[in-house]
This record gives sequence, C-alpha cells and structure tokens, in this order.
Amino acid sequence: MRRISRQLSALSSFCAAVALIASLGCASGSVSAFFNQTNQTNQINQTDPRQMVFAPVAFTPPAPERVVLDNGMVVYLLEDHELPLVTITATIRTGGWLDPSDKIGLAGIAGATMRTGGTQRIGAAELDRELEHMAAPVSVGIGTESGSAMVDVLAKDLPRGLRLFADVLMTPAFDPARVELAKLQTIEGIRRRQDQPQSIVGREFAKLLYGPAHPYARESTVESVSKITRDDLLAFHANTVHPNGIILGVTGDFDRAAMLVLLKETFGAWAKGDVAPIVLPPVATDVAHADKTVVRFVGKSTSQTHLRVGHLSIKENDTDYPALTVLNDILGGSSFRSRLFNDVRTKRGLAYSVGSSFRAGVREQGVWAMRAETKVESTQEAISRLTANMEQLRAQPVTDEELAEAKESFVNSFVFSFASPSAIVGRLIGLEYDGLPKDFLQQLRDKVVKLTKEDLLAAARKQLHPDQLRILAVGPPNALVPLLSSFGEAKEIKLPPEG
Amino acid sequence: MRVARGTRHGARGHAAGLLSAAFATIILLTSPAAGAAPGLAERVIEHKMANGLTVLLVERHQAPIVSINITFGVGGINELTGSTGVAHLYEHMAFKGTHTIGTKDYARERPLLDELDRLSTEIELRRAAGADAPELQRLRQAFKDMQYRADQLVVGNEMSLLYQRHGAVGLNASTGKDVTRYVISLPANRLPLWAAIESDRMAHPVLREFYKERAVVMEERRLRTDDSPNGLLYEAFAAAAFQAHPYGAPTIGWASDIQALTPAETERFFRTYYGPANATIGIVGDINPPEVIALIESTFGKIPSLPSPPPVVTAEPEQHGERRVEVEFDAEPIVLIGYHKPSIGHPDDFVFDVLESILSEGVTSRLYHRIVREKRLAPAIGADAGFPGTLAPNLFVISAASLAPHTTAEVETAVYEELERLKTEPVSAKELEKVLNNLDASLVRALRSNGGLAGQLAYFQTVARDWRYVLKARERIAAVTPQDIQRVARAYFTKANRTVATLVRAPKKS
Repeated sequence: MRRISRQLSALSSFCAAVALIASLGCASGSVSAFFNQTNQTNQINQTDPRQMVFAPVAFTPPAPERVVLDNGMVVYLLEDHELPLVTITATIRTGGWLDPSDKIGLAGIAGATMRTGGTQRIGAAELDRELEHMAAPVSVGIGTESGSAMVDVLAKDLPRGLRLFADVLMTPAFDPARVELAKLQTIEGIRRRQDQPQSIVGREFAKLLYGPAHPYARESTVESVSKITRDDLLAFHANTVHPNGIILGVTGDFDRAAMLVLLKETFGAWAKGDVAPIVLPPVATDVAHADKTVVRFVGKSTSQTHLRVGHLSIKENDTDYPALTVLNDILGGSSFRSRLFNDVRTKRGLAYSVGSSFRAGVREQGVWAMRAETKVESTQEAISRLTANMEQLRAQPVTDEELAEAKESFVNSFVFSFASPSAIVGRLIGLEYDGLPKDFLQQLRDKVVKLTKEDLLAAARKQLHPDQLRILAVGPPNALVPLLSSFGEAKEIKLPPEG
Repeated sequence: MRVARGTRHGARGHAAGLLSAAFATIILLTSPAAGAAPGLAERVIEHKMANGLTVLLVERHQAPIVSINITFGVGGINELTGSTGVAHLYEHMAFKGTHTIGTKDYARERPLLDELDRLSTEIELRRAAGADAPELQRLRQAFKDMQYRADQLVVGNEMSLLYQRHGAVGLNASTGKDVTRYVISLPANRLPLWAAIESDRMAHPVLREFYKERAVVMEERRLRTDDSPNGLLYEAFAAAAFQAHPYGAPTIGWASDIQALTPAETERFFRTYYGPANATIGIVGDINPPEVIALIESTFGKIPSLPSPPPVVTAEPEQHGERRVEVEFDAEPIVLIGYHKPSIGHPDDFVFDVLESILSEGVTSRLYHRIVREKRLAPAIGADAGFPGTLAPNLFVISAASLAPHTTAEVETAVYEELERLKTEPVSAKELEKVLNNLDASLVRALRSNGGLAGQLAYFQTVARDWRYVLKARERIAAVTPQDIQRVARAYFTKANRTVATLVRAPKKS
C-alpha cells in the first residue's frame, strides 16, 4: 500500500526531488532564471501577485538515523518532541502477490486478523479493550506488494503500546471467531463490489491492462475467500512475516538511546526467517502487446459514463521516467494547471473530475491513464478530447511556459515532502523497500531540471501510444455502444452479479 | 470545490478531490470535540480587525511551510427554495479570478459578460413564452458567439497557476450546510502572495466562465449523488427528516435549481454573505504572528465591512411520527436511522457527543460489538451526532449496511435494542473513561497537522463563535453522567422522532 500511495502521488514525490535545488541555490534553465531575480524575503510592498518574487525556500530537513538489529530488522528513528506522541510503523515484505490462485484474499484477511485476532499473550477482546482504552490505535494491512502496521500512542503509554504492537506482529493468535467474521466481512465486500461505478471502472481497467490473473488485477471471490482457513493464516504469517523482512519507522517524543534498548528488548529474540524476494508473473504477452486500441464497456444504469483511457507504461528505472513524470504533470496530473483540466473541465464543462495519472512500476510495468466522468451524451466528445490531448503531446513540443511552470511548481513545493518527521521517515522506508537508492529523488531532480521540450517530445513519441489504447466505459449499455463505436469495436464485459 | 456532507466538525464527511482519480475522504478530526492540546490555549493568537475579520494564528516551526483555512459562515443553510446549490456554485466561481487575475483586460471583458447574461435571460424568457425553434437557435448561436468573444479575454485558472508556480499544494475549497471553506498550504515565505490573492478575491471576484462552471457542477452532482448509492440515499434521508428547515435540501443543489442559477443571483449571494465579519482565517505554521497580522491588516484590512447577513428564520417543527423512505438503486442494501436533536452548544448536544463515542467509536463500541461482532448482522456500522450540520438542530444518525443474508430490518431491530438499553441501564464508568481518554488523545493529535488545526480553529470560531469551544466542550463532556445519558436517550430516541431511509435494489429492468 505504501508503494501505491507513493506512486499515486507521483507529483508530490516528484516535487520532493527538486526542492533540494532551491536549497542548493538552484540549477540551470528556466528555473534559475526565475530565481535569479529573487533575493528579498518579505515583499509586503509587492502588490501584484503576478510580479511577486520570493527567496528560495531554504530548509535542511532533519536526517533520520538508520539502525539494523541483529536479526536483520531495519529501524529508522527520528525524534520530534513537539507533542507527547510516538508513532511506530512497520513495513513488511509480504503481500497479496503470494496468495495461491485458489485462495485469493488470503493476505488481506491475514492482515485484518493479525490485528483483530488477539495474540498468544492476550485474547482478542482484551487486546481491543486495552488499545481503545488507552487511545492507541494499532492497524495492520497487507496489500499486493507489501504489508504495513502502525501504532500511534501517547508517549506515556509507549512501553505498553509497543508491547502490544510487537505481539500483534510476532505472535498473532488468529482467534477463530475473528477469522470467521473477517471472512464474512470480506465476502460482503465482494457482494457490494458492483454497487459503485467508480469502483467498477478502476478494477476492470486494471484487468484490461494486466490481464485478470495478474496480481495487480486479480480479485478475490466468494469461493476463494470461503476456502481460507485459520491454518492458512497461521502459515501465511509464519512464512512471510520475519524481522529481516521488516523496516520499522519510529517518530515522535522519545529518546533514541532508550528507544533502541526498548526495541532490542522487544524484537531482539525474534528469529530471522526466509524472506522471499517479490517476484511477479510477467504480464501476459497478448495483453501487453496488443497492437491496437481495445474498447470495452460495462453496463450499469448510471447518469454518467465513467471513463478510463490509457495503457501500460514503463518501470521506474527507465530513462524516460523523469520526462514522463513531467509530461503527465502537464497533461493531467497537476490539477488546475493541466491541459485536461483546462480543456475538458474549464473550457468545455464536460466533467467535474478529469485528469491523468502516471505510475511507473518498480517490479512490473506501470500505468499511464486518463480519466473522466461525463454525462452519457458527452461520452464521445470526452474520449476524443482525452485522446486528442494525448496525441498533442506527440505532435508538438510543450510550450516554454508549460515546462517552466511544471519545474517551478516542482521546485517550490519540494519542502512539502518534508512536512513532518513521519513523512521524512516514510519516504526513506518506501525507497529502501523498493530497492531504490535513498537519493532517488535527488537523482530524479537532477534529471528533471535538465529536461528540454525536445526531451519531452521524444519521450512522448516513444512512450505514448494513442493507437494502442485501452478504453473502458461504465454506463448504460444501449446508449454507450453507438457512442463508443468510432474508437473501435466495443465489446461488453459481463460482470458476475455478486462480485 | 467539493460538497461536504454531514460535517459535524467540518472536517469529516465525503469530499472528493478536485481532479484526482480517487475519492478522498477527509478525516482530520475523529472524535466529538477534536482539537486542543496541552498548551493550545496559550498557543493561539487571536486578532480581530476593524472590518470584523477574525484571524487565528498558531506558530509551528517544524518546516518552513504554512497552512491556511478561510472559513465563511455561509452554506446550504442560507439557501432558499429554488436557489439550492448557490452557495456551492459560488464557491466554484471563487476560483475564476478577480478584476485583475484571470483576465487580459477586465474593462473589455465586463460588457461581454453582461451581454452574455442578458442573452441567457432572453433565451429562457423566449423559451418559456413558446418561441419557435429558429428563434431559439438564433439566440443560442448569439450566446455561443458572445461566449467565444468573452473567452478570448480569459486567462484560464490563473489564480491556481500562480499558487502552484510558487509551490502551493492542497488548493481546494468545500461547501457544507453551515460553512464554506477555502484551504491552501504554501512555503511560509509566500504568504504575501496568498494575502494579495485572497484579499482580492474576498473583495473583487468576477464570475467569468459561469455557464460552463454550472455544467461542471451538474457533472459533480451526477458523480456524487445520482450515480452514488450513498449519495442518493443521504439526499432522500435529509429531505424526509427536514420538511421545513434548509438542512433538508442537498448542499450541491437540486438539479433543476442548479441549472436555473444565474450570475446575478450568485453574485448577490456573494455580496450578502462574504463580508469580512462573516469570515475567520486560521493560519498555522512557520510564521511570525506580528508580521502576518501586519500583512493581513494591509491587505484584507482594506475590505469594507458589510451589513450582517439575514438570519435563517425557518425552524424545523417537531416531528410527530416516524418517517420512512426507500431509494431504489442497483446496489446492496444500506440503512440510515436518524433522530432529531439540538444544535451545537445546547446542553444535550454534549451528551450526544458522548453517545456517538459509546455507540460507534472503535471496535469495542456498543454497536460494533453487538451488531457486527456478536450478531453478525452488518459488516460495519457508524454513528454521527451532527448530520447534516451543527449550527441548527440536526440529526443523530446511525448508518449500516446489512450482511447477507441478514436484512436491514434485522439491523434496525438490533439498533433499537441497543438504544433501548441506553434508556434502562446506566453506562459504565469504564465506558465514560474510554470516551474521555480518546477525546484527550484526539485533542493532542489534532495539533500534528497544520491544515487540520487551522481548519479546526476557524470552524469552531464560525459555528460556535469561539475557537475555545473544543476546550470548553472537553469539560462539558467530562461532566456528562450516566443519568444524563439515560435522560437524553429517553427523550430523543423515540419512534415518533425517527426517520429511516433504506436503499433497496431496483427491480430488474428488462
């Protein structure tokens, strides 16, 4: 989940990268031109917002300490004594990618019941009572490529809060009644999957891109969840949650030396295990390389057509990553400033929600996608505008202003990547988890500031494929078919009635 | 640019990001009176300006950033029949610029905007009078031509662009029943930019691109309400529970009202409700308060004060009998159960804060324990002590989905059993202690976020006329006794005071 949240906020991590430029006195190109004029600090005399100039934001964020315990557990620590609170996160190398194909949903239920099922030391009901009585929320969740757990505790309750948190991680008991309830809740969630068009379009689009069996797209079923047993959960925990697969993040009101002693006492006896590297099956060839546009729709009685248009994209280590990040910002990633917002929303009034997202994959191809929701009769116009804007990125260079604005926004908002100790620590943990260098963002920054219009054009021509799109529409089927026909033969995806 | 629904404390409820792929449910404050901490009372600097504007500042120097929340005491509660949605539509229009921002030449633009409005009115009048198709076609073409000419003078989204170039993040706004809020975070040394832009838009907004934005709001309504099982159910629920008071109308507006809103009407709404005395600015971050106050005085201080806006006169009459509504949708069942209750500040309102926590806060809460864990009738259940607003008498709402094969009728029965138990058995000291522990912790946690704190201060200053409400409420909540809870449960949790809305699956269409 951590992984996904970082990718979904591509622009903000992107901004993070460049902020250092500001503190380093800024770099080349239009960004430096912008800053060259700026040496005042309090421009109260400046009245026209268009003319205002400001000093670059100078900020050296505090550097967390990284410690490795004897059993391989990595710990990042950053003290922050403003408030009497301590937050401890655990990023766990496990995930739904490990689910057997007949028991999809196993990892998710394991995460839920690690939290709710009690521990070997304390029963489920007593654990809940104690945590809620001391207002110390503990959460556990397991996503496709990682697990995460957290405790947020008042500093006065740290020893007890940490004890309970550690037991949840190390010795969950998977109380049978809680397992049964988690399965029922999951099944009810499956039954309600098709209730909201927004949810349908997101999940079906992933299947269209990766194929329905890929871990990025596959879904649990009533049948797969029904098969999951308590023994499966015990085994999943025993086999995938190990100290040498965990990165802890500790922030807040504590003393580092005392905290390290406490952590060693708490986790030191936990033995290492075999931590499997994350291996995803390749995207099915026919899915990845379909060389023409594919149009699909899901029938649902709605007032709008809920649209996704896009295709698979690159991995994060691709040399075009910086260019695509900026291209996405200009196309539809940057809210008000973006081309899609201005064209589809502001100028045409076709949609409230419109934009694009670019998510590079670490272990697998990422996704380049555009979205809009528009009243059914505007479907054709909306799709045409999405594709036209995408094609435009290949046809002509972006303007000097667009590139300068993207870079300035990038540079000047950098400081928000360091807004809090937990953000600073979380970022480093995310990078380490993904095997990316801790100066990944600085490297990205260096590349971004050097980008030219020509670089962007070349990347767009290489990486954007308007002739190989996946177009997915959710809406009233009889109305949709003729509206979609100009983009290709529209075939219906039939959904099971319950999940 | 979102509609906040059921925002007891302004920071909760459904909220969609402006543009983003995902619905963002904003949960900044999780418990009844979230907000202060040890030391909050000493950390807030309050400044009242001659024109009535209130400024609340808190220094936090962890990073050179600042978050600002401007809260206006206006929302759906101020709308009249036929004009629902005007508060929210104005909030959208507030992003369109001013006499100087968003335009190439306002002097040339103004007459074109006036002409557009005249043509729009004429089209409506002629259509109503039964004008023939060619005439309407001619008028619509004239409108389009005029719109094209006006567009040539627009600098699209310039305000947002200025903010973003200077590194601002989180630019957004929301409209609720009680308040309308404008939020942003930016590098702290760019506050002069913020002051220039915001004081300009508080004084000189221009409602350009009005007709297109009205269409955008229609799309927002379709997205949030018409295509959303929850959205449609809450709309019908509020309309059933409130027959007289404006809390019964949707904040985003009825579709027909939105489509009939005019620039003149929307601007009139602004002129009535957006005076500086009706606004509070919360500023939290890496600031020097005297400098910021001087900056705000030199910018916002120039805005003339306005007459007090008219009070809301309509009061919801007492309910005499249970009301039940159904909404058909292609989705699984949901049930909402609401009871009328008093507004913020009423002595019983603090008891409802405690009730909300006892019934629904956490997995050890009474409803979750009994209905989700023991009886397994629902996958989840929640309670909200302030729907759809807090300023006026509102509803205590319990919401749940049913867990198949159980029905919402079974959920209802089980909920009523729990409410009856509150009337007959005193709650335990341990439960009250848990409520207070969680409240105290949430008061500390609220200080972790610049934006959350700025929003909380501005919110309570607006709806309770005092940002210290959170501190005072803590003491009132601590004083609630088991007998208070029994009394309140008996007085309010009655069948005659109840409204129930149920989402049911539509019969299959052929």
